[in-house]
Amino acid sequence: MFTFALRRFLIAIPTLLIISLVIFLLLEAAPGDPLGEVPLTVPPEVKEKMRAALGLDSAWFVRYFLWLKQFFWVEPLNLVDYLFNTQYAEGMQRVISFQSRQPVMQIIAQRVPQTLTVVGLSYLIGVSIALPIGIYSAYRQYSWFDQLGTFISMVGFSVPTFFTGVVLIIIFGVKLQWFPSIYDTMHRVTDWQSFLVQVRQMAMPVMVLSLYNAAQISRFMRSSMLDNLNQDYVRTARAKGLTEKVVVLVHVLRNSLIPVVTVIALGVPTIFGGAIITEQVFKVNGLGQQLITSIHSNDMPMVMTLTFIFAILIVTFNLIADLLYGILDPRIRYD
Amino acid sequence: MLDHTPTKKTLVEVDGLRMYFPITAGLLRRKVGDVKAVDGVSFNIYEGETLGLVGESGCGKSTCGRALLRLYNVTEGSIRIGGVDIATLSHDALRRMRPTMQMVFQDPQASLNPRMTVAGIIGEPLDEHTKLSHSEKLERIYELMDAVGLSRDFANRYPHAFSGGQRQRIGIARALALSPKFIVCDEPIAALDVSIQAQVVNLLEELQDRLGLTYLFISHDLSMVRHIADRVAVMYLGKIVELAGREALYESPKHPYTQALLSAVPEPNPENESSRRRIILTGDVPSPANPPKGCNFCTRCPKVMEICHRVEPASREIEPGRFVACHLYETATTAETTAAHNSAGKARLSNDNQPTQQGV
Amino acid sequence: MKLKTALLGAVATLAFAPAAFAERGTDGEVKIIYWQAVSTLNPYLSSGTKDVEAASLVIEPLAGFNEKGEVIARLVTEVPTVENGGVSADLTSITWRIKPGLLWSDGTPVTANDAVFTANYCMDPAGGCAQLARYEGIKTVEALDDLTVKITYNEPRPNPYTAFVGATSPLLQAAQFANCMGAAASSCTDQNFAPIGTGPFRVTEFRTNDVVQMEANPNYRDPAKPAFATVTVKGGGEAAAAARAVMETGEYDYAWNTQISPEVQGQMEAGGKGEFIYAFGTLVERIEMNMTDPSPSLPEGERATVAHPHPILSDIRVRRALSMAIDRDLLVEIGYGAAGRATCNLVPAPEMFASDNTDCLVQDVEGAKALLEEAGWKVGADGVREKDGMRLKLLYQTSVNAVRQDFQSIIKQWWNDIGVEVELKAIDGSVYFGGDAGSPDTFQKFYADVEMYANNFDGTDPEPYLAQYTCDKAPSPATQWQGENVNRYCDPAYDALVVELGRTGEISKRAELARRMNDMLTKDTMTIVPLVDRGRLSARSLSLGGVVLNTWDSELWNVSDWYRVK
Repeated sequence: MFTFALRRFLIAIPTLLIISLVIFLLLEAAPGDPLGEVPLTVPPEVKEKMRAALGLDSAWFVRYFLWLKQFFWVEPLNLVDYLFNTQYAEGMQRVISFQSRQPVMQIIAQRVPQTLTVVGLSYLIGVSIALPIGIYSAYRQYSWFDQLGTFISMVGFSVPTFFTGVVLIIIFGVKLQWFPSIYDTMHRVTDWQSFLVQVRQMAMPVMVLSLYNAAQISRFMRSSMLDNLNQDYVRTARAKGLTEKVVVLVHVLRNSLIPVVTVIALGVPTIFGGAIITEQVFKVNGLGQQLITSIHSNDMPMVMTLTFIFAILIVTFNLIADLLYGILDPRIRYD
Repeated sequence: MLDHTPTKKTLVEVDGLRMYFPITAGLLRRKVGDVKAVDGVSFNIYEGETLGLVGESGCGKSTCGRALLRLYNVTEGSIRIGGVDIATLSHDALRRMRPTMQMVFQDPQASLNPRMTVAGIIGEPLDEHTKLSHSEKLERIYELMDAVGLSRDFANRYPHAFSGGQRQRIGIARALALSPKFIVCDEPIAALDVSIQAQVVNLLEELQDRLGLTYLFISHDLSMVRHIADRVAVMYLGKIVELAGREALYESPKHPYTQALLSAVPEPNPENESSRRRIILTGDVPSPANPPKGCNFCTRCPKVMEICHRVEPASREIEPGRFVACHLYETATTAETTAAHNSAGKARLSNDNQPTQQGV
Repeated sequence: MKLKTALLGAVATLAFAPAAFAERGTDGEVKIIYWQAVSTLNPYLSSGTKDVEAASLVIEPLAGFNEKGEVIARLVTEVPTVENGGVSADLTSITWRIKPGLLWSDGTPVTANDAVFTANYCMDPAGGCAQLARYEGIKTVEALDDLTVKITYNEPRPNPYTAFVGATSPLLQAAQFANCMGAAASSCTDQNFAPIGTGPFRVTEFRTNDVVQMEANPNYRDPAKPAFATVTVKGGGEAAAAARAVMETGEYDYAWNTQISPEVQGQMEAGGKGEFIYAFGTLVERIEMNMTDPSPSLPEGERATVAHPHPILSDIRVRRALSMAIDRDLLVEIGYGAAGRATCNLVPAPEMFASDNTDCLVQDVEGAKALLEEAGWKVGADGVREKDGMRLKLLYQTSVNAVRQDFQSIIKQWWNDIGVEVELKAIDGSVYFGGDAGSPDTFQKFYADVEMYANNFDGTDPEPYLAQYTCDKAPSPATQWQGENVNRYCDPAYDALVVELGRTGEISKRAELARRMNDMLTKDTMTIVPLVDRGRLSARSLSLGGVVLNTWDSELWNVSDWYRVK
């Protein structure tokens, strides 16, 4: 297993380098200009100077290698400096956002907590309601519960979050005024009262995203359970005289979870990617909102760094999913 | 096998067993009919004997075997094992009955949980039904592995690491774990290589001798059934068409279907083989969802008569211990009466008479 | 009797309301939502309106504009003019006198050196200053003494109110930004996110593209202001959601630029928690006519250049007919509601600069048809006019934007009615306005017959705006397709007027010249066909008092006067 992991890790390095180049070239080739938002009242000469100040006057490969150096050398050094109070990165140019002129990594660090609390929590809630629903729907296939579950999943799956989000805002934010429609990222939880405020402002985005996640995963869980429920070994388990609980929860569930766990693991990077639309709708202003804002303003260093971090996460969680598969399923051996 | 002296005690009594699976259709999944997988089957199994159940695939023999252990909720009929009717038993009571009746499945690969070790698979019923300590349990597991000829070293391996024959041994060890009296062997050798088949069958016979087991041996392999069974029942389309002692059945099959079936078995002796006359059945087996009127076999029977299309033949004991359900062996009047009898759903293939012909 | 008492009570409340906020920080928090989130608080590094306006809460220019477009003193004792001697008679220099005793929010005094520093900061060639245009043509900026700044221009400057006037050129503190000159500008994150200023508030926390929190500046020059102790400027979402937060849920007090469809505006006002406020500036949605031939059959380098006049649109009768076919009032109703008004002017405001040109406001389809007939365009077999074997067919491009696409399809219909075949094209805004010389789809390259967008001018003086239409400012391959005269309009008489305007200091004469130039571009030549004067539409909570919408400066220009209605 260890050599497998190591080998996969080593393969990941050139893969990621190629990904970074592809992202860079795509951004480069994409239409748009970091100064596109500059009003028409700004004269072209000024624009030219602004362009030069952003470093856009050098050739693309120079900028690409500069980015590589900054991402793989300067940023880690800055992290070391930050953690151990050293001065290694003194005077080195970090990856700077075009839009705000702040180091990209600082912005990301600032936004990760919002994204993790809202999107991460909704993923957790989504998974934890999806599994029992999936299990029970499969066990009682075609029962009213299953039909209802299918219907809700279909709704959660097919109705886009920007729609459910706005509907929730209109019902609970505008009409009933139970929850705020705008997320306060500055809110700090210090006591029970402020905790309740936090819960209230998280309620709607978490609801929307949980529904979406639960819809997906409960379907996976259900079909995986159905696959296993009809297996011969389940009959064997029944023939052994095991209780129904043991048959379903030990034999069927444990086997059914293997593919589902993989799906869940592969879904984790999307948490970090943030729910772009939901964050936008509820103004959670996490990583997803940052990404979309940066794309709009052609903030290339930001988009490049964020997408590349997502790529790293995706590659990592693919590896983790593979390793989990190996741990969970004795039939798979990575030697 | 040779010194096997049959006891006369009935262990399993099956009466009018029916197993229907609903066919649903349409938006609301309304029931529109039934697949009559097992349609009124009655027979007895005596303690210590092996009853072979043969028939072509799809005839309902596996369903019959599973229904016998209530792995399905039966539609109708009674199944008495050791005097207890398990067909109507509550789930909990049934679970407590499980140790006395076990099953060896056809596909040893699929029937073993891929994520459990051999020890886990064999030991699980012990967790459920006994209060053995950990070491006792391990001892029992090793004992069982010895009994089926598996090395104790394999206890912590997973099923996928074994060959088909070994897996079936695991399946057998698992079935034996709770010392059952009655085991349904559902085509236990069908998925195995020919070279392994004999080993597994011999193991089953040996265990039967040693532990006094009673088997219902389901197979489509007529030669293997002839080898292992004491009596043989032939099934066609959810019904038992003939039930007789092994030798009697193989020497002189009575039912046209049995005759056709046996004519397909190759003779080991080349001289006899050349003179063997195959009866070729034409047409397909009718759908069990929509069986023909009258005798189920009337669509393919080489000796079909007019009555066969109208009246369903009842099972009659034409010789002591020999039951055949065919109009060829009954008078017209009895046919009419049994037909009336049948329609009331009370057909029985076996009565409580002892069979005159038992294993040699 | 009861009613009378109630009315009296209401009057009393209004009368005493100012007394209630006569103390700093007594009205708690004011919450403002900018759906385009604030990226930085240094307007010299960002030209985004959102950034400039959020920064205006903290840093101030020497003088600003009021809601009428008049220059008002902020940090200076008075606005310099030729009359009071602040502007030299030859119009080449202006001298500002800073109010004595003025303090930065950190307690240090504001000096003329800060102004000199600010000018040098923006004019540093390596800094990429986004507001460089405000400091154009400056020869020197010098501190005559601690409180006097003198700006000398290279040439006479009839409108000297550019540097240090308006929210786009505020004063930075020299001490804070000393190490941020030139290339270092972008690495000064702390400074850019929390500039020290003289404004009513100072930054307590800044999260880029998310939220800014501020508190009342303890050293603000008016000890009674601001009434609010803290401000939160939240960003994110879109215009409708921002409007909803003010108009329907009441979570926010003020929402910036809530451009939403007139229909939705009405629904939201029913919420009863807020109202939409609007004011008109100089932003005009217009159709520009291409005077050169954009035909793809021409070789690159010659296509859409003055070498090839447009085969159809060179005829003024066609251009005029196209304008006559448009019903501008209907466009306003569909696209902007209260936040728009029909206009025929390129310069619709300030009032003195606006021409009385209203000819285009009435749609005249028959007249348009007659004009085309007269020009020799006869209706062909399929209803499309033809002349000398050429079909009257136009490519009409604009940026992707729901209102613009509505406009496109309606105008296409009108033009079809007069026998013009129209092909529509919508280009992503970042490409269309991106100015990439390599892209065929920029508005400057104008590879189409007509195009639509909106533009305005900064401040109150239209001179630089009108000066964009000289012959030499036409984009061409030689200029890397840069240049503001996208129509490639070229008239020596117009160029001469531009020069004259540059020499004229007297305000009424300037206004007259500007109106003439406006008329030349619009009703005389129909080079530019103005459609809608687009106002600024924002939303305020009914509980927020003191808001005066200003299109000439930052929307938050008078935030120090805002108070909570009690």
